[in-house]
Formats: sequence, C-alpha cells, structure tokens
Amino acid sequence: MDERAEQRQLSAQDMKAILGVTSALAAPFDLMTMLAEVVNAAKQVLKADRGSVWLYDAPADELVLEVATGIRPVRVRAGAGLVGTCARDRKIINVPDCYADPRFDPGVDKASGYRTRCMLTLPLVDHKDVLVGVMQVLNKAGGVFDAEDEVLATALAAQCAVALQRVRMTEALIEGERLRQELEMARVVQMSTLPAAMPSLPGYDVYGTFQPAELTGGDTFDLALLDQGLLTVLADATGHGIAPALSVTNMQAMLRMAFRLGADLETAFTQVNNQLAATLPGDRFITAFVGLLDASAHRMRFHSGGQGPIFHFKAATGTCVPYKPTSFPLGAMPLSSLRPAVTLDMEPGDILVLLSDGIYEYHDAGKEQFGEERVQEIVRAHHRKSMAELSTALLESVHAFAKGAPQEDDITLVLVKRDAGAATAHRMFRRSFDSIQDIFAFTAEVFARMQIDPAVLPTVDLTVEELFTNMVKYSTMSDAAVRIDMTRVAGGVEVTLTDYDVEPFDITRAPDANIHLPIEQRKPGGLGLHLIRRLVDSVEYEYSKESRQSRTTFRKTVAGPSARAGAASGAAKTRGEDARD
Amino acid sequence: MLAIDFGPGGGVVITGRLDAAQCPTAQAFLDGVQGTVTLDCSGLEYISSAGLGVLLKTQKRLLAAGGKLRLAGVNSHLRDIFVYSGFDQIFEIEPAR
Repeated sequence: MDERAEQRQLSAQDMKAILGVTSALAAPFDLMTMLAEVVNAAKQVLKADRGSVWLYDAPADELVLEVATGIRPVRVRAGAGLVGTCARDRKIINVPDCYADPRFDPGVDKASGYRTRCMLTLPLVDHKDVLVGVMQVLNKAGGVFDAEDEVLATALAAQCAVALQRVRMTEALIEGERLRQELEMARVVQMSTLPAAMPSLPGYDVYGTFQPAELTGGDTFDLALLDQGLLTVLADATGHGIAPALSVTNMQAMLRMAFRLGADLETAFTQVNNQLAATLPGDRFITAFVGLLDASAHRMRFHSGGQGPIFHFKAATGTCVPYKPTSFPLGAMPLSSLRPAVTLDMEPGDILVLLSDGIYEYHDAGKEQFGEERVQEIVRAHHRKSMAELSTALLESVHAFAKGAPQEDDITLVLVKRDAGAATAHRMFRRSFDSIQDIFAFTAEVFARMQIDPAVLPTVDLTVEELFTNMVKYSTMSDAAVRIDMTRVAGGVEVTLTDYDVEPFDITRAPDANIHLPIEQRKPGGLGLHLIRRLVDSVEYEYSKESRQSRTTFRKTVAGPSARAGAASGAAKTRGEDARD
Repeated sequence: MLAIDFGPGGGVVITGRLDAAQCPTAQAFLDGVQGTVTLDCSGLEYISSAGLGVLLKTQKRLLAAGGKLRLAGVNSHLRDIFVYSGFDQIFEIEPAR
C-alpha cells in the first residue's frame, strides 16, 4: 500500500465520530433542522469553527444557502466561485489560505464581520449520484484542513447527502399532498356555487350539469330565475388549478350581484368584464355566455365573451343554427363599446345548447376530437326527450367516443328547451273513404307539431284508418262527421275517435280473426280490430245513450308493444287462443 | 299516394300507401296478373287491413290457377302486420335487404 492509499483508510476513531453524528441525521423530518444537524456534524467531525450547506436548485442550476450560522441566504450560479466550481466539478476543494485564492469572495466576510482563514468545500452527492448540494467548513481549530480531513469529510458528505435528499423528498411529498388538499378545497368552493336544483320555469325544460376533470378546471354554469328573466350562464376560465376555479366563482358571484341590483344584460356584462379586467392577472381571462330568457315573450337575449359554439336547435326544421360570440373573453381588456346583444326566438320545441370545450375537444386515444358535428347529431336524435336525458345522451356519447381516454378538461352542459307546444289537437272528418287522405295529413301534421316520435306514426295511422273505416261501413245510420282528438303523451300519443248519432258497437269485444285457417276459408273481415289489439298499448270503448255517441280511445307509445318482440309474443298468444277453440 | 306497375324484372312494384281509399286501384291492377308473381314491397310505406284484403283476394285467385303471389322487400313494420294477421302462413315473405 502506498502512502495515498493508507491516507484513505479511516481510523476506528474517525469511524466512531462519523457514526456518532450520522445517527443524529436519521431523526429530522424538516429541512431546516436537517441542515443544522449536517452543519453540526461537519463541525464536530472536522473540528471546524463554522460550516454551511448550499442546496442545489437543479432547475435554476444554482446553489442556495439555506442556513449558515450568522450569514444571510444567498444564491450562486453553478460554476461560479468556490461553491459553484465544487458543484460543477463534483470535487473537493481544499483552500488553506482563502485570501490568497482568487475564487474566494471576501464580500461574505465583510457582510458578517467574520474572518475566514481556511476552507474545505465538498460536493454532497447522494447514493443515486445526484448532486444535492455543497458543504463548506471553515477555520479548522488550530490549523488548516489536511488530506486526512479530506477523506473524513468525503465519508461524512455521503451520509449527509443521503439524509438531506431524504428530507427534501419527504417535503416534496408533503407539499404535493397539501397542494392536492388545496385543489380539493377550491373544487368544493367551485361546486358550491352551482345551482343546487334546476329552476322550475313553466313552459320550459332547463338543465345544467358540471363534470369536473381530475385537475381543477375553470368551468361554471348558472341557471337562476331573476327579475330580468332566466339567467343562463356558461363560463370557462383559462388554465387549470386553483386560479381559474376561483376566477369563475368570482365572476359568477359578480354577475348574480349585478343582476340582483337591477342591472340589464349590457350593464352587467360590461361591468363584470371591466372589473375582471382590472383584477385578473394579465394572462388570464374567462370565456362566458351570459343570457337572459324572457319566458313570456320566448326570447333569449345574450352576450358571449368568446364562448362558443352556441347552438340554437330549431324544432321546426330539425337543424342546429350556430351563433358566434358577441365579444372577446371577459377580463381580457376593458370594454369601451359593446355590439348589440343577439336575440333568439325560442319556438316550441327549440333548444339552446351550450357546451364547454371539454366536450367539443374531448379526444380519443388517436387525438380525434368529439367535435361539433357529433354534438349536433345527438341533439337532433334526442331533442324530443327531456333535457336531463339529452344531457345523459351527450355525456354517454362522449365517453363511448373516447374509448377510455381520460377526461382532461371540465365538462359543462347547459340546455334550455321550450316545451313542444300545445299537447292536444282535434278535427272533424266527413264520413267517407275519401277522408282518409285528410286524416293522414292531419296525423302527420300533429306528429310534426307536437314532436311525437315518428316511429309510432304507422301504427297510429293504421289504427285510425281501421276505426274510421269501420264507422263509415257500419254506422250507416249517421251522416254526422267523425271527430278525431289527439293528445301527446310521454313517448307517444293518445287518440280518440268520436262517432255521433250511432248505435253502440264495442270494438273491444269483437272476436279475433282466426288467422290459422286454410287460405280458402280466410276472409279479410275482422283483421283490422285483430291487428289493432296487437299493435297499440291500450284501446277503450265508451258509449253514451243520451247523446248516442261512441268514443274509441287508443294509446300508442314507443314503450308499448314493440316491433319485433311484440310480433313474436302476439303471434304466440293468438296461436294459444286458437288452440283452445 | 299509391303507385303499382310492372317493374324491370317482370315482377310487380308497389310504392306509397295502401289504405282503404287506394285499394280499388291496387285491386284493379292485381286482378290482371297471372302465374307466380313477386310483389316488391320495398317502397310500400303503409298497409291497412283493407290492403291485406287485396293481397288475400289476389293470392286466392292465383293459387287456384296454380300460381302464387310472393312478397319481397318487406320491412319490419310491414312484417309485424303480416305476422299478426297470419299472412306469413299464406305468403312467402322475403325481408328487405
């Protein structure tokens, strides 16, 4: 063994000293205590007068002096001075006479009044070879640091680096948990401002929902009955995290307050914008739709600060008409003038469709976006349903489309639908086969106007025709016109045919046709009522002796006997009955 | 509302709505067909029991003469009506493709 190798050997006494201080390093859980322990350990083992630990800030590539007895915090670039050089080269630097070394900065001494004679600067590198920081010890008692001190210091530094890194990682974990809890609190505040229940507005079906993404997003909506009308808001603040959640919550409160104080749409929109422009940080803004629905005039007036697309589904044509924003996003800059608000005339069955970009931009694994076309398709397919059901249909379609791709943004939906209008209609028809075309024109018109599911129209036409032709054929004693009443019911329609000045004939008691006879014996008669009983949900007959009126009422809904399943069971039932004959 | 005529393949094509008011038109045409005839129903939107009567009368006449009427292009709504009325037992029915 040569002299250098011998020098690298630690004496039993040194080992004892290091073990003594490193056991103290196992205890602390906070960084400040740990730094103090490391400095104490170094001073003790190396018999130094003072010590300091610089932590390496990797993103900034700087060294930060977090604690040092009597010295104020300071930052140093990696590569600069003794500390910076040590960090860059990851090598121990032993300076026996500081004031003779150009890398030494006497400014620190000047500030503290302390006189640094000699100094040992060594890198703190953990067991994964990560630079944690740089340790300095100053002024060895009774002399300068020698080669043995260097070996001792290197052994100690490894222990200190691991201990420091452990504390730093623990603190990062705690910080992450604290942040998560804060995000959760912000989410609770955000959710608490949403309407607890949907406002009840006669003649309208109003629905809003908010589905948060995992990280806090900045969506909100509002649906509230105010003196000015139904306040309808959908807003989305830029970014993720606590700030946008607080921004939209703030905006929503300001809007409500403005309207409660009697502001009109323009004033509220402008003033809230200007307030946000004054208070939001320069890079933040909120896209927002703010509308007021006059439910008696069926007019929705709105301003939209960068929130779009806005769809007006028109029931009469089955199309979605898109509208653009009227202004820039709220809070982007003060508003000096405002374009006129847009007015939508809500006809029966019309829907205002507001969705946040969390829906339009939801993408599958292949990065294809859900897009506007799909939204329009779903609205067209489900516009007759309740807005809660339409909302569910939209959300289910989005999730089916995404095929498990995660939700990255908040999703918010606001749907405002005007009821499809009068639910009853009636007309008189001349007692003649020639009226059949007029009857079909009437049923088709009522179906379109009341938005009854067209899937039940063929059965309704068939049933009306059978009942009507029976009246024409068999109630020959009467010249009176036949009255047909239609009432929209959930999922379908109820129809009543009233035959005036006739003898009673209860069609519900007429026997079924025997459909299993050989063809030679089969006759077309009786098939009409036979079919009706199998195709409609229910059929009832009433006769009034006083007025000599026959009333036949049937109901047909999509939930009733359905096409394929009904066919099988109906046929089976008929066969069973016939078997008993 | 109702059109009925020979199609390019030699069969009969019926389109529109076969209701009670249109039956005389359909009956008059079908009274003139002979042998085995395919009735293309893919354009038939609607049929009531009166229309079923027209088909039944035609089938009886053709069967008696050794021919028959086949129903092709039958959609699910029409098929329900044919099944409920037992017509699936007296007609060959080909579903719509």
